[in-house]
Amino acid sequence: MTALPGTRSAPPASRRGPLARLREGWPAYLFLLPTLLVVGYFSYYPAYVAVTRAFTDWDGLNTPNFTGLENFQRALTDPVMGQAALNLAIWVAAGLLLAVVPPLLIAELIFHLRGRRRQYAYRTLFVLPIVIPSLVLLLVWGSFYRSDGLLNTLLGAVGLEGLRHDWLSDLDTALPSLIFLGFPYIDAFNFLLIYAGLQNIPDEVFDAARLDGATGWRRVLRIDLPLLRPQLALIAVLAIIGNVQYFISPLVLTSGGPGFATTVPALLMYYTATRDGEYGYAMAIAVLLMIVVVVLTAFSRLLSRGNR
Amino acid sequence: MKRTVVLSALLLSSLAVAAPGSWRGTITMSAADYAPNFPGQAKPLKVFQQIAAEYEKKYPGIKIKFHTEPIPDTNTMIRVKAAAGDLFDIYWAQAYSLNSTLPKGVATDLAPYFKQPNPYIPGNKAWQDAMDKAQLAESRSANGAVYTLSGDKVVYGIYYNKDLFKKAGITKVPTSWPELIAASKKLNAAGVYPMHAVPAYPWWSRHFLSDLYAKDYAKLTGYDGLPGQSPLDEAVAISKGILTPKDKRFMSWWPVMKQFTDTWPKDYLTADPAKNYDAFQDFVGQKEAMLYEGSYKAREMQDAGVKFAVGTFNFPKLTKKESPYATGANTANAYAGTGGFQYAMSTPQSNKSLREKGKQQAVLDWMRYFGTPKNLQRLTAEQGTYVPTWPGTSAKLGGLGNFDSGALAAQVKLPERSIGVQTATANLGWVDMQRIFGLYLSGNITLAQAEKQVQTTLDRAAADFARKNNVNLSRYK
Repeated sequence: MTALPGTRSAPPASRRGPLARLREGWPAYLFLLPTLLVVGYFSYYPAYVAVTRAFTDWDGLNTPNFTGLENFQRALTDPVMGQAALNLAIWVAAGLLLAVVPPLLIAELIFHLRGRRRQYAYRTLFVLPIVIPSLVLLLVWGSFYRSDGLLNTLLGAVGLEGLRHDWLSDLDTALPSLIFLGFPYIDAFNFLLIYAGLQNIPDEVFDAARLDGATGWRRVLRIDLPLLRPQLALIAVLAIIGNVQYFISPLVLTSGGPGFATTVPALLMYYTATRDGEYGYAMAIAVLLMIVVVVLTAFSRLLSRGNR
Repeated sequence: MKRTVVLSALLLSSLAVAAPGSWRGTITMSAADYAPNFPGQAKPLKVFQQIAAEYEKKYPGIKIKFHTEPIPDTNTMIRVKAAAGDLFDIYWAQAYSLNSTLPKGVATDLAPYFKQPNPYIPGNKAWQDAMDKAQLAESRSANGAVYTLSGDKVVYGIYYNKDLFKKAGITKVPTSWPELIAASKKLNAAGVYPMHAVPAYPWWSRHFLSDLYAKDYAKLTGYDGLPGQSPLDEAVAISKGILTPKDKRFMSWWPVMKQFTDTWPKDYLTADPAKNYDAFQDFVGQKEAMLYEGSYKAREMQDAGVKFAVGTFNFPKLTKKESPYATGANTANAYAGTGGFQYAMSTPQSNKSLREKGKQQAVLDWMRYFGTPKNLQRLTAEQGTYVPTWPGTSAKLGGLGNFDSGALAAQVKLPERSIGVQTATANLGWVDMQRIFGLYLSGNITLAQAEKQVQTTLDRAAADFARKNNVNLSRYK
């Protein structure tokens, strides 16, 4: 087998047994051991507990009773879970678009500004809001959406009284309002990732594209997007994981209502555990969410590979 | 099995003996609204500390230590501390939570001890003889356990800002529903929010249902053979289709309530009742004229520095004009939830220190000491916002200097008759029913749609109750 450039070829398989090799590298393993123990206890053990207790009726204190697939059956047949899953699907699709498109547009605009200082200034401007705690932003947006809040005041001021709305208490607008809060949706991490990706494209590629007449949107579509694929794929995966697990804004602003219009499975999981004390059932929901994350992530990776 | 019975009998007999025994040490207690010396209060309470000092003097070597830090979420505190085996020896908790959502094992079943004499009550043969029978029955879980020592209640009424009523030209407090709605419209016209809150289903429904079902009171509270409406009574009535939309009375009041909430801003109509805190702030800030709340709010108003004149009036009577099923009963006191004197005792599982030999007996003895009508009277009189429920005690509602609590005081004298649907399962009143209620009041769904959803919710609640408590609801006549 020929080694790829820049990588080391695998050493010939040792004829010694694993114990002998362990003995040989003991100082390295010794240094790794505390980290492995900490990661094991704080990351893998809770996941193990969640998976195993998902098959039990557990109240968080007493010995869990094994109930087999009952919790999963309950989750999959619960009508509220059906509504929550639908909300989640909408949220993931919209969240994916918002995680990619606005940061991409802004990164492109800033990257092609003339003058490094100007670029730096705009970059800072878009990254600066990262210092504001997300809860504060949520509460501010909650006040924007009130019947006497900024949004309705603005609509009234420009003569659009007809569009004024009870944004968070209407079945039709509550979910979109929560998904779309955070305008102009420039996630600092995603923006910097794309910006760094653009910086990594060699100048020669842009020069050659310019000579071939690829400018403006054509350059973005033919040069930037294909070369940004690793960054965009990473953002997509993180957006999927983040949105499937996300429940903070419904928790803070609507408690999953009106009705169940903004309930997502993660919120259901949270309430099931903390409010209802049904930890076994909550863990079954968590396991189902984990399966959804794995499937969606694999699907997204498959799509991004298939296009290569 | 035999061994367990013998051990339990031995334990019970040892705990039945008066006095704390030979154990000496510190008993920890989270007394919630009766906590003495709570920092930051305008007038910190003293009585519980005095009672503790009397007990400490009687039994040298025993110390009572009160927790004086805020607990933002009681149930979470109980779960977390119990999981660590570090719960307070005695703590405030809702009987409803201990019976439904909190894990079994966080609190000791006090029912056997209630049957024994309390040596600190002269002539007492069984501690429960000194208690309110209906409250005791309502606190009972389906398996007969009672996890709380309950001795007071919150009374609910409508607080109003006298200045804002005057500004809107309202000269008389509403005593009927048409008057309440007319007053709300007048306030709106004067640019004042009548109310600004999450309309809590369990609170409002108790008043309406207690009126509409007044003639069936004995039947609806009698399934378990005990006074008051227990979760079992509720579940049976649901399963029989009496407390469900199949009975025309059940939701006939929803349009009446909608007429009222139509005068409120809609922001909170669909929200979680736990997010009602803004309503209180708006009342204190004089942005809304009325506040439907518990008697504990008077003290909070005092702490918030309210200077304007506050009055109270009770739930207005229904007439045949609002509902053909109205009975005209005075249901002002129908929603009177258990209050601040509602204490549970840890178990050796939730509190490792109770494994010390003799400590459980000492903790129980301290409960018996402060759990007398005399001490309950002292505590409620000082606190001023709760009504003691035990025979021989009397209400001393105080609160603000400029607070007119006449209506609440009058309410306390009414006979206790309360019908509702909220406690059969954890998800019922405050969660699923509340959601449907909010959707209807905010105009998101019609009454017919609401009825369908309510029926589904109630059917599920009754089935859950029967499954979790292993009860056959159909055997009750």
